[in-house]
Formats: sequence, structure tokens, C-alpha cells
Amino acid sequence: MPEYLVKESSLASFFQALTQGRRLLAPQGQGDNCHLEVSTGPVSLDYANTHLSPKAVFFPQTEKLLAFHKLADKPKPHQYQDLGDKAEPTVIFGIRPCDAKGLSISNKVFQNDRFTDPYWKGKYEKTLKIGLACLSPSPQCFCAAMGGSPFGEVGLDVLAYPKDKGLGLRTLSPAGEELIESTSAEKADLASEIQDLAKKAIEAQGPLDAYQAIDASKLMDLYQAKHWANTAEPCLGCGVCTFFCPTCHCFDLQDEANDLGGVRMRNWDTCMSQLFTAHGSGHNPRPSKVERVRQRFMHKLKYIPIKQDGVRGCTGCGRCVVMCPANIDIRSVAATMAQASA
Amino acid sequence: MGNLETITQKIREKAKSLLESGQAEVVIGYRAGTIPLVAAPFFARSAADCDQLVWSSFARLNLANYLPNRTEKVALVAKGCDARSAVGQVVENQFPKENLYLLGVPCSGLVDPAQVAAKEPRPIQRATESDDAITISGQGFSVDIKKAEVLRRNCRTCAHRTPTVANELTGPEAPAAKPDDFEDLKTLLAKTPAERLNHFKDLIKDCLRCYACRNACPLCYCPVCFVDETRPQWLGKSTDPMDTMTFHLLRGLHCAGRCTACGACETACPVNIKVREFNRVLDKTVQENWAYEPGLAWEQKPPLTVFQPNDPADFIK
Repeated sequence: MPEYLVKESSLASFFQALTQGRRLLAPQGQGDNCHLEVSTGPVSLDYANTHLSPKAVFFPQTEKLLAFHKLADKPKPHQYQDLGDKAEPTVIFGIRPCDAKGLSISNKVFQNDRFTDPYWKGKYEKTLKIGLACLSPSPQCFCAAMGGSPFGEVGLDVLAYPKDKGLGLRTLSPAGEELIESTSAEKADLASEIQDLAKKAIEAQGPLDAYQAIDASKLMDLYQAKHWANTAEPCLGCGVCTFFCPTCHCFDLQDEANDLGGVRMRNWDTCMSQLFTAHGSGHNPRPSKVERVRQRFMHKLKYIPIKQDGVRGCTGCGRCVVMCPANIDIRSVAATMAQASA
Repeated sequence: MGNLETITQKIREKAKSLLESGQAEVVIGYRAGTIPLVAAPFFARSAADCDQLVWSSFARLNLANYLPNRTEKVALVAKGCDARSAVGQVVENQFPKENLYLLGVPCSGLVDPAQVAAKEPRPIQRATESDDAITISGQGFSVDIKKAEVLRRNCRTCAHRTPTVANELTGPEAPAAKPDDFEDLKTLLAKTPAERLNHFKDLIKDCLRCYACRNACPLCYCPVCFVDETRPQWLGKSTDPMDTMTFHLLRGLHCAGRCTACGACETACPVNIKVREFNRVLDKTVQENWAYEPGLAWEQKPPLTVFQPNDPADFIK
């Protein structure tokens, strides 16, 4: 796909063009206060990544799915009304390649040959995603080790990078191409520059060996390894890693009702909670944090790759590395898994 | 050798001898973190493990949190607040005193990464420390910051930096901090109830209900927390502000008179909520009404668990 250039002097008109007929979401703020927010541009490129991953745009922490009421004098009493598909056309500018890849992994969970989740689909298909490549990845970043790249293109319609106080762009889908054609961006040949910058950014990252060893290991060898009790021992059992993870997508369905009516909603859930797998019978197949911690790392590094043609369920965004209160670092856990099954 | 290294050496030596003699089956302490400004909980069961133990001013979690339900004999590396929480666990019958060896660390206060980030927003790749200062470095910079300028709020007013109850101390007593006069609560307590409610609503507006505060708290050892009860389900699971507020208020009340101001809840919170504020008010109330501070002696009874015939409150008689 072709490349484009947005000069510093055209940034304002470029972002204005993006907002035509759709809302623009872009990272605003710094550090822990960096969040995706509605913007009119120009967007500051001076951020590492959003504090939370962008998954909430498509999969909000609480999402009302259906509602009903019991008022006989109002239309359709005692019937569920669909609350889905209120999505508005959106363009997100500034998604990091790790997060875009994370969305593409979750997309295969919510839309595949067996199921289509209308709530996810409605939002996902009405959203164009413009990524922002990482010229200098953060210390906690390891996207390259996970098979991605600071210039990764998976899950994006357009990839942008900072260039001479303006932007370099590469379009990656017909919709992305159409979007950029509607702006003031000018065609340019940036292929070799992108290749050089990507190489430099990848070299700044950590080794790949452990993850390749896990790929090559047998599932049951990894599962039955003896280290899990030690690996899980510091875990507090909170939901931080899963809530911050760009690919964690598990949810809990809840009905909330009173005398007048009610709603059915889904909320983020976390496999770190004992309640996540508690059966109505009282039995719990993952009775302790040992099984729960094992589940999380096996899911990211083995189960998802098996289901998604080798693509790992971790994209190396580094959020859990930084946010885990007990410093359970997936890079160290992967090294332990690789060693224990060797 | 600085004070930190001396304490680290002492912890390692003592840990080895406790494991060797069988006085402890596990030593719960800290190891160096995999990222800057963090020391991680670590469970040493062999001499080789013991060489990974460290003391640092990044040791922000409360290790007493790992005591309940543990059947092993434990040696706990405990700063002042951890030691008090461990005593609290024993007083509340959550851990047998005979299985506990408190390896007390005189603490000079711990570093708050948020305050470090406020002073140095560039990405930090490495952090080292001396007794008084930390040195942080990243791409093209290296900066020294005095620890006193970036201590956690609770460490600034901690009256019990040196464990008051311990089997052994790893160094000389730490200089006492300025006693806690609850100065920070003055503005809040001058507000009307409605204004206070707004204050707390604003405080928790970013809460994700991940329960990291609860799970990092050594007081929150209930087998099933009320928020996880399903028959009946007391609380909604969504991000509804009322449900979130109910969680924080009830957790705060459950901890009344038991909190040792260790700040583990704030350390664990991924969205930087000053969770401890719920308990600050209650700490003050309990101290004023019962002259009680938790975790200072094995014989203490938490005021909200005992009845005395001379209780000043009429409703209870």
C-alpha cells in the first residue's frame, strides 16, 4: 500500500479532515493520565501509550445488552429490547501497534466462523484505526519478542509515524486508503525509511528465545511443570493484569432488575478471581491461585497460539509488567516456563 | 557499606540460619524487581534463594498479607507497618504466633513512584539508591532525587518505622518521623456530609473494581469477600458508581481501627486512587475514642471486637 506525507503546516487540516462525518479518538495526557478521548486534533504525539488499552472502545467494562420493563401501559412490556449497535463512525488516531494487534486477536474471539458478537462487531466495523509507530519503545516494551514490531501493521488501517514535526503514513486497507485520500496528505515514497526505523526500534528490544522454546514445547509439559506453585505464590489475585491487557476479553453476564424493569449487561471479568470459575454446585475447577495464574500464562503463550495459527495472546505492550502490584513479570514467567519444559 | 546494604546482608544471613535450624520453613521478603523502582515479594526456601533477598526503599507491599492460611513456619521480613499487620493477624487469630518469626527492619520510609514520575516524567530504565537518595536514569539522562522529597504520604507521618514487636531487628532503630497529627484531614473534616460524599465520589471516579486494594491489604483475609458473595449477591458487578462506592465504604468500615497505614492499597491501585483516605478518617476516630493503635502488642484487642461495661456509648448497654 502507498505512503503519504503530512507536513507540519498541514497537520490541522489533516486532523480536521479525519473528523468529517465521524468522531476522532486520540490519546490525550501523559503517563498514567494518558487516555483515549474525543479530539478535534491536532494530536500531540508525545506519549508512550495509553494507560489502559483501547479495548474498552469496542468492549466497554460495562455494556448494557438488553432491557425490559413491566409497565403494562407502555409499549412492549415484559419483552427484551436490544440495546446493541449504538456505534457511531469513529477513527482512532494513535493506537500503538501492540494494541492494534491485541484488538485483532480479540476480534477473532468475537467474530469467527462459529460466533458473531453483534455488540463488538457494530463498533469494530465502524471504526478506522490509525496506528502510531514507536520510534523509541518504553523500557517495558517487548512487542518484537512476541512476533510484533514497533512498526507493526496488524489490525490497522493506516500506520503513522512522526516525521519532521509532521507525519509519515502508510495505508494498510482500502478503507484506510480512502480515508487518507480524503485528507491533505501527499503521496511520498517512505518505504526504505520505514524499514530502517523499524529495524532500529526492534533492535532496542529483548531476546526471543524463551517464547520460541514455549512454541516448541508440548502443552502438557508446560501445564504439568513443577514451577507453577512458586510462580503463583506472590500473586495477589487481583484483576489488574487482565483489566489492563489488550487481549483479555472475558466477561460476566449479569441481570439487574427491580419492580419496574431491568437490564442484562456484561462486565469485564477476570480469570484471577476465584469466582470466575466457581460452579453453581460449589465445585471450582481452578480452586487456588496456582491454577488461575497457570491459566493466564498458558492462555497467553500456548492456548491462543494453538487456536490462532501461532499468534501469541500477548502482544508485548508491557502494561501487566508495570502494573502488577507483585511484579509478576510475564517475561520472567516465560523464561521459567521455557526452562521447566526443556 | 550503607545502611541498606547492611540490612540486606543481615536479612540474608539470618534467613539462612533460620531455614537451616528449622525455625522457619520459608522466609518471606523482597527481591529486586524486574522493573525500576520496584521490589517484589519473594519466598526463600533455600540458602541459594536467600541470596536473592534484598532490602530497599521500593518494598511497598505489605508481606503480612501472605500469612493467613499458610501452614508453614514463617520468618517475615517486616518493616514497621508489616510487623504491626502481622501482629494484627495473630491477634485476630489468622496466624499462629508460634509459627511466626518477625525479622524486623527499621524503615526510613519508602519511595512513591508517582512522585518520582512527577519530578522526572521521562521513561526510567534504571534506578539505584543510596541511604538518602535515588538515582534514576534513562535515555540520555541520569538524575539524583532525595528520598525525603518523594516518600509516600503514609511514610511521612509514620510513628512506628521501627517494628515495636519483633524477634530481632536487622539494624539500629530508624529516626522517628513527625507524629501523625492528621493535618491532611483538616480540610476534609471541615466539609459538610454532602461535600464529603462528593469528595469521595471524585476520589474513586477512576476505580476499575479490580480489587487490587483489597487483595493487597493484610486486613482483607475473608474467605469470601462480600463483593464476591452470590447467594445473595449483595453488590452489582458493573461500573455503577453506587456499587463502587458501596465497595469502598464497606471495605473502609471493615478495616476501622485495624489499619496500620502501610499504604499497600495505594501501591497496588493501578489508577492511583488514594484509597487510604477512607481509612484515615476512621483511624483518627478510633485513636481519639479508644486511644488505640493496632499491631503494637500481642495482647491488644481491637476496640470494635470487645465490650466493656464502662463503654461511653448508651445504645450498647
